[in-house]
Amino acid sequence: MSCVNVIEKDRNVIINPLKTCQPLGAMFAVTGINKGFPIVHGSQGCSAFVRYGFARHFREPSEIAVTALHEDAAVFGGRSNLVAGIENLALRFDPDVIGVITTCSSEIIGDDVYGFADTARGNLKEKLGEDADKIEIIPINTPSFVESHYKGYDNAINALVNHLARKDEPNEKVNIIPGIINPGDIRELKHMLASMDTDGIFLTDISDPFDAPLRPSKTKEIPYYPKGGTTVDELRDSANSLGTVSICKYAGSGATSLEREHKVPSAIETPPIGLQNTDQFVRNVSKFTGNSISEELLDERGMLVDSMADNAARYLYGRKVAIYGDPDLTTGMARFVGELGMEPTMVCTGVKYPDFNPDMEKISKETGSDIDVLYGQDLRAVEVYLKENPVDLLVGNSDGRLIALDLDIPLIRMGFPVYDRVGYQRQSVLGYRGGLYLMDLITNTVLEKYYEPTHWKLQQ
Amino acid sequence: MPYKLLEVDKKIPQRKNHVYVKHCSDPEDEIPDCNTKTVPGSMSERGCAFAGVKGVITGAIKDVIHVVHSPIGCTSYGYGTKRYPTTPDMPNGEKFPIDNFNLKYILGTDLQESDVVFGGMKKLKKSIIEAHKEFPEATAIYTYSTCTTGLIGDDLDAVAKETSEELGIEVVAFNAPGFCGPSQSKGHHVGNLTLFENLVGTKEPLETTPYDVNLIGEYNIDGDLWIIKDYLEEMGINLLSKFTGDCSHDEICWMHRAKLSLVRCQRSATYIADLIEEKYGVPYIKVDFFSTKYCAENLRTIGKYFGLEEEAEKVIESRMEKVAPEIEFYKSKLQGKRVFIFSGGPKSYHLSKPLEEELGMETVAVASQFEHKDGYEKMKSRVKEGTLIVDDPNSLEFEEIIQVYKPDLILAGVKEKYLAHKLGVPCLLIHSYENGPYMGFEGFVNLAKDMYRNIYSPVWSMLEFEEEPSVGENAEVHEDSSEKQETKPENTGELA
Repeated sequence: MSCVNVIEKDRNVIINPLKTCQPLGAMFAVTGINKGFPIVHGSQGCSAFVRYGFARHFREPSEIAVTALHEDAAVFGGRSNLVAGIENLALRFDPDVIGVITTCSSEIIGDDVYGFADTARGNLKEKLGEDADKIEIIPINTPSFVESHYKGYDNAINALVNHLARKDEPNEKVNIIPGIINPGDIRELKHMLASMDTDGIFLTDISDPFDAPLRPSKTKEIPYYPKGGTTVDELRDSANSLGTVSICKYAGSGATSLEREHKVPSAIETPPIGLQNTDQFVRNVSKFTGNSISEELLDERGMLVDSMADNAARYLYGRKVAIYGDPDLTTGMARFVGELGMEPTMVCTGVKYPDFNPDMEKISKETGSDIDVLYGQDLRAVEVYLKENPVDLLVGNSDGRLIALDLDIPLIRMGFPVYDRVGYQRQSVLGYRGGLYLMDLITNTVLEKYYEPTHWKLQQ
Repeated sequence: MPYKLLEVDKKIPQRKNHVYVKHCSDPEDEIPDCNTKTVPGSMSERGCAFAGVKGVITGAIKDVIHVVHSPIGCTSYGYGTKRYPTTPDMPNGEKFPIDNFNLKYILGTDLQESDVVFGGMKKLKKSIIEAHKEFPEATAIYTYSTCTTGLIGDDLDAVAKETSEELGIEVVAFNAPGFCGPSQSKGHHVGNLTLFENLVGTKEPLETTPYDVNLIGEYNIDGDLWIIKDYLEEMGINLLSKFTGDCSHDEICWMHRAKLSLVRCQRSATYIADLIEEKYGVPYIKVDFFSTKYCAENLRTIGKYFGLEEEAEKVIESRMEKVAPEIEFYKSKLQGKRVFIFSGGPKSYHLSKPLEEELGMETVAVASQFEHKDGYEKMKSRVKEGTLIVDDPNSLEFEEIIQVYKPDLILAGVKEKYLAHKLGVPCLLIHSYENGPYMGFEGFVNLAKDMYRNIYSPVWSMLEFEEEPSVGENAEVHEDSSEKQETKPENTGELA
């Protein structure tokens, strides 16, 4: 009988974290809005570090403003910083949405960001007249000392729909809350929706903002805005959709709010990684639209199945895999690894969420393999675990590269951040085609690592 | 008027005093306003004081544990920031058991709401004890206050003292919460003071020579320090202590025993050289090893100080023999190319003149995130008439500078690089480099090569689709790249 063994952190100190604080998630969410500008109400590091992280992973500009709290603000409060910050941003950058993101400092100081935002709105009205009404200023509370970046992402999506969604005529669209995923993933979701004759509203859509073409003649300069992102009109219209599919279990609040406030039904699931999770995504979309799965998608599914039939048993069966990273991606990946006949012997997430362990139990039953779940743990725990319990493959972000190197385990890069390889942000791990990509990546890694290059086994 | 209000700053006119165009009739002390508070919402590129202390000063040390006392973000972001490699070599000849320890681990207290309400000192104490248990091989433990712990008033010094006594290992607290000071520069200062007050003078070196120096403000970015170390050792000079590239904790403890301090990054580390001079009478000189000319000049100065003039000449001669033809080649390619240098601090004045004099480029604008008055004075003295000098430029100013000054190349950081590319201008990473090291003779060749690679990358001539390709232009590109193949000398500048 297969079982799950949950191993929790047995020390206070965190060593090489697998999570970060709330504001990052909110900055990510606001970046996915067309002409959306995050402004972080905190110290300069709060935006600089995140911009550095996004630039390093996506290899794209990441424009995130900050109110630059210094000592005086720590003593007297950050009112003037926030009011001036919003005004300067509005007047110089002409944004459609300003997401005002709090931090540990501004939450501890006790700044009334809602009140300060109102003051800024009033001032802008004086300076811009009616044009000021076109700028949506949306406070998002993201205290850094509560939960993780996923909570910040969830809070941001929830704040956006609560602030913007307006009931109007039904629109025949499906809202998608994508979670913290890559541009390639979102493009794959769009492809799947299009294949099912469905228009989506992404809450929000970082695909173009974080993967923009270099076309100087078409690039708007001063201020630079990438094309794409979800428009304010689309965000408003999210109240009129057929349903909301959140493919991130850790960011369902926006979907729940839309259901409660605007009767938009919701489905909150594990991301469509691998065969069965993608099937479930397709069923969810189909449930809301009434459109059945397209021949095109069935063929794509068939191609993944074909490849699994051709290669999984031969090259992958029984190989042990350790997976670490964000909770939704690790859950999806663990299940897919099982579908490929491999054993997800260790799954580690730095973020705690009640659904995580029950999901692991389901996967354990389904795959018939015991899973050691490192719950709310860090990369040091992964390292120590792997020294005692070796595996064939490691799946996770670039922060594990040195562990992989020291332990001589090949690392399949996935999640955020990946900075020591290029192109991962453009690939999709979602959908049937994402499954194919992942499977090829895994299989080729196994062939490279575990097969003698000159051996006759590679002959055909 | 030398001060210039850029178009994009019309709504934030206070920025005018930070933007300056050099004019020969200006009074000498007229420089951009600097080291002042950042304009909120301006899209400044600055970081925080915590980044200054951990990211720049202490993160390069090879044998200490860093415990960041913060909610999880600061700890996550403090992991693996700069590229400062270390060797496992310890001063006593032993090897530190974990390779690249400084790049591999970061520890933190992961503060939760209850810690914010009730205080985080107990958690910090436990964390430091656990850190010691986890990595008993580490020589010392450094702990950092952050915005949260600064605001709730946790006393890190008290915890450091207590745990230090309990564990029998040095625990040092760095009090540079993110909000202190206008930029990361404040963190450099706190790092210098803390290391000086707690460590310098507390240990004696295993042996001394008459040629002992401290190399201060050199962080071994991409291996810079190793280049300089080779030169100095060939001259017969002993690097008693490095501050802090590839250095061990103990080296800092005996910095007072050097005969001379060499201050390389004068923004982030002149503080400690001053303090050591004041208290222990160790003199210091400010040195500059970027470019062949500055490097040679400074090696001669150091040689003269120790009576090692001939040895200095030998080093210079041997290196120049190797790099001169390569520099000649890159000069022929980079001649007349317009460059905009946007560094964190001093690289703007380290590089402006060498790029002009040794590589024939034209420095059209220089900028810095966090320089102070002395740095801007030097910057101004090293650029020519009409050059733009900007303090703490924001992204709109960055875009306007690109439009107006039309640089062929920008030297800046990763936050700026991709924006420059979107606007059609190549941008080379100058904080942590691309294919460095960039220091010293060989390093200057690497820098020239990287600038050349960036400017001449074929992509920049194919940015837009053309209905009817203009034959002439394309022909020129091909000719250029074939010429590159034919005349480019062997790759001798690359370090093994």
